Amino acid sequence: MAVEHFIIAGDLAADSFLPWITRHMQRLGLRGVPVRRADGQVEITLSGPPDLIDAMELGVSLGPIDVWVEAIGRRRLENGEVS
Amino acid sequence: MTDPIRDEWYPVAMVSQLHREDRDTLLLGEAIHVTLRDGQPMVTASSRVLPSQARYGHVWTSLGAPARPLFDIPEADQPGRRLVDVGLVRVKCSPLRAVENFLDIAHFPFVHTDILGAEPHTEVGRYDVAIRDEVDEVWATKVQFYQPQAAKSAAGGITTEYMYRVPAPTVSVLYKTCPPRPDEWDVITLFVQPLTETLCEVWPWMALFDDTTSLTDLIHFQQTIFLQDRSILENQQPSLLPLDPGLEIPTRADLTSVAYRRWLKRRGYSYGAQLVAA
Repeated sequence: MAVEHFIIAGDLAADSFLPWITRHMQRLGLRGVPVRRADGQVEITLSGPPDLIDAMELGVSLGPIDVWVEAIGRRRLENGEVS
Repeated sequence: MTDPIRDEWYPVAMVSQLHREDRDTLLLGEAIHVTLRDGQPMVTASSRVLPSQARYGHVWTSLGAPARPLFDIPEADQPGRRLVDVGLVRVKCSPLRAVENFLDIAHFPFVHTDILGAEPHTEVGRYDVAIRDEVDEVWATKVQFYQPQAAKSAAGGITTEYMYRVPAPTVSVLYKTCPPRPDEWDVITLFVQPLTETLCEVWPWMALFDDTTSLTDLIHFQQTIFLQDRSILENQQPSLLPLDPGLEIPTRADLTSVAYRRWLKRRGYSYGAQLVAA
């Protein structure tokens, strides 16, 4: 089990994006809550098997049609570390 | 205002076939006529003359006004290469699905068994994928895969190195290890003519260093590969290429496919694509 912090940048204004992320996480069996930041970026702290977190990054890089994901920053969180 | 679909160049005929007869066909659902006039290609839609050019053994045209020249394959002009028109394979699938399948290495051991792949050598190693902004193309490099018979000129199994390039939405260019000349790449392309959103004609073309294999054998080898792919392509669901992953779960082996879909999305290229997840 791994815990990672994602920061997603791009043209993410569409309201569909956060529910889309939640659905995709649930399909992969990952846990986390996406949050939209004041600067428009979206962040999530995810937990689950490392291969599925990799799959989450790939899925999010495509995203829904009304969103353009430019980049995803990832940081692995160690035991007890807070994003 | 450019039209990201109509302003592209598309392959619509093999030049060598036009010396024998004209060709009536479809492009993006519109009827077109392809002929040679004074040795030069001419393409018409109704009575409108479309832009056209002959390159890489094929006639290229556009229903719109292409803002960019046709992509370059420098190897086509390299002395000593054999330029091979493989012919035509009609496939009942999205033209984008045909390109995506060409980019997929993971299916080799299961679909092209004992030719392009074999069990237990099924793992796709890590490789690099990028959308190269300076040329607006997708490139996958450092792709390595064990193949029992990588090319007609290969004697036995070798670890083949690949590079994939997508220079246009319905074109893919594959560069692979050239068994007789380790310093060069064999070039195998897939030119896809979108007849409709769910029907296409695929024109493979090759630029190879191979002085020994007969033309018939070279063509037969590639046609065998593409016919094996056809049954897979015609049964894929959804038939259109999803630009939203939806129910699909892309993994590391799908890196090139994901980059291709991202690139299509960024260009606004939606012909043959499914925009919203089913």
